[in-house]
Amino acid sequence: MIGVGNALRGDDAAGLEVVRLLSARAAAAGVVVREQEGEALGLLEQWDGADVAILVDAIHSGAPAGTVHRVDASRRPIPARLGSSSSTHAIGVAEAVELARAMGRLPARVILVGLEGTRFDTGAALSAEVRAAVGEMAEAVLREALRQARSLAAATAACP
Amino acid sequence: MSAAGGSQPGGTRIIRTDYLARVEGEGAMFVRLEGRTVAEVKLRIYEPPRFFEALLRGRAFTEAPDITARICGICPVAYQMSAVRAMEDACGVAIDAGPLRDLRRLLYCGEWIESHSLHVYMLHAPDFLGYSGAVEMARDHREIVEQGLQMKKAGNAILAVVGGREVHPINVRVGGFYRAPTVAELRTLIEPLERARETALATAGWAAQLPFPDVERAPELVALADSGGYPIDLGRIVSDGGIDIAPAEFDRYFVEEQVEHSNALHARIRGRGSYLTGPLARYALSSQSLRPLAREAARDAGLEAVCRNPFQSIVLRAVELVQACDEAIAIIGDYEQPDAPAVEVLPRAGVGHGATEAPRGMLYHRYEIDEAGTILDAEIVPPTSQNQLAIEEDLRAVVEDGLDLPDEQLSLRCEQAIRNHDPCISCATHFLKLTVERA
Repeated sequence: MIGVGNALRGDDAAGLEVVRLLSARAAAAGVVVREQEGEALGLLEQWDGADVAILVDAIHSGAPAGTVHRVDASRRPIPARLGSSSSTHAIGVAEAVELARAMGRLPARVILVGLEGTRFDTGAALSAEVRAAVGEMAEAVLREALRQARSLAAATAACP
Repeated sequence: MSAAGGSQPGGTRIIRTDYLARVEGEGAMFVRLEGRTVAEVKLRIYEPPRFFEALLRGRAFTEAPDITARICGICPVAYQMSAVRAMEDACGVAIDAGPLRDLRRLLYCGEWIESHSLHVYMLHAPDFLGYSGAVEMARDHREIVEQGLQMKKAGNAILAVVGGREVHPINVRVGGFYRAPTVAELRTLIEPLERARETALATAGWAAQLPFPDVERAPELVALADSGGYPIDLGRIVSDGGIDIAPAEFDRYFVEEQVEHSNALHARIRGRGSYLTGPLARYALSSQSLRPLAREAARDAGLEAVCRNPFQSIVLRAVELVQACDEAIAIIGDYEQPDAPAVEVLPRAGVGHGATEAPRGMLYHRYEIDEAGTILDAEIVPPTSQNQLAIEEDLRAVVEDGLDLPDEQLSLRCEQAIRNHDPCISCATHFLKLTVERA
């Protein structure tokens, strides 16, 4: 599980906040929890060797603030409106995923759980809508992580 | 990117980039053509770190490196280095030699390696190979991307060992470091750096044979000059127009002006015009100070003493990758762990200045502190801020040369012209979307 974001840019910190809320419980379930600040290329190192990567990030697609998005990127790209980067100047989450896919460095399962934000200016705190949604989002992410962990354990048991 | 219809002869064409709204602001790049005249070129690709300048006021001088490191996700070390240099200057301390200085140089080499490899392989190479981005390029040229990732990893490793963490190094402080690495810890870096150095040499050769348009641009070139070597962590500020000053004189020679009708800032040399910092400037002013291996790589790549073609910056960055890898290995080879990880720096009232060479160019900090070390005022001038006007002038030239191209192609050329300068977009925005609009 990797929380992605920027701690200093308002709702862009949501992904980091969420994984911090549930890191202890996730770790207890055997899930490795990490944070990725700065550009997303580092994700390739972070998920190296993992069977499943759950990415937790802020989204800015125009949906109502606090909306939780879930995207399974295992076999297809994260839709552009849910990605987090320009195509020309920086490597964002969607691009990092596609880069890894093109190079055979993508975990077999990649799930993006995103929280729709509304303010991303430097120095801003989380918006009220996002702050209110972070707890519920954390539960959703934890459920996802536990589901993936169980599914992985079952698959491993079936085909040792 | 979208292109609609055709323009009418004599009509107005508008080419504009728009931010998607992660940050407020209107178009980042705006070009207006009237017939075959370039009526207007406006560029705003970088927001000055005003928030950070304000945030620093009232904080302790010791906090400057940690706070300013958050300005840039790709070059936190540069901010830390300029910050500590400025604070030490204010307090009458200069770390110009010795193991602490060597560690700083080593850390900075790590950042150059990380930043330049990201740009050369992921952001710039696709332009020359005809791909829209690294992902498309990776499908056909996986080895190029693998090389970039391998080099970036070597740079990250330096940051982790010397800086204490890969993304925002936590080990840097005014006076030196919190902990000096052991010789054994540094020696673990030699193998990945030697591999990176080999890759960098091959990259310089590969970059040299890429197809470059024949372009020559002539802004005044400004960089640090370090009598002890190729400039990275300290030096005087020099230009090819005769400037040769201590960093303390920065404000007397360089000025940032708010541009009317826009949030852009234009940096100029007072009484003159635009200027450019970064690899082109460093190379033009200090190529004779490159380490022999890097000088040889430059020569083998067909570079002369000065290069004024922004497209060839990819070759210069590759040469600087050779320089940084070679320098890092040399520093590690000579390193002896110091008795103390830092020197004492006692605060005193005054003003301090620090200028260092971030991967993208000269980064200047100025701080005023009181006798307790509380920050009263801060001025931070990043390289991309300083380059905006020169990049805008590049854009104008590109548009003038490409008037007959369809909008989509012209837009792409404009993007490339911006990308030549490796602007620090990631500091200010997460989105830079190009759209073509017709009026």
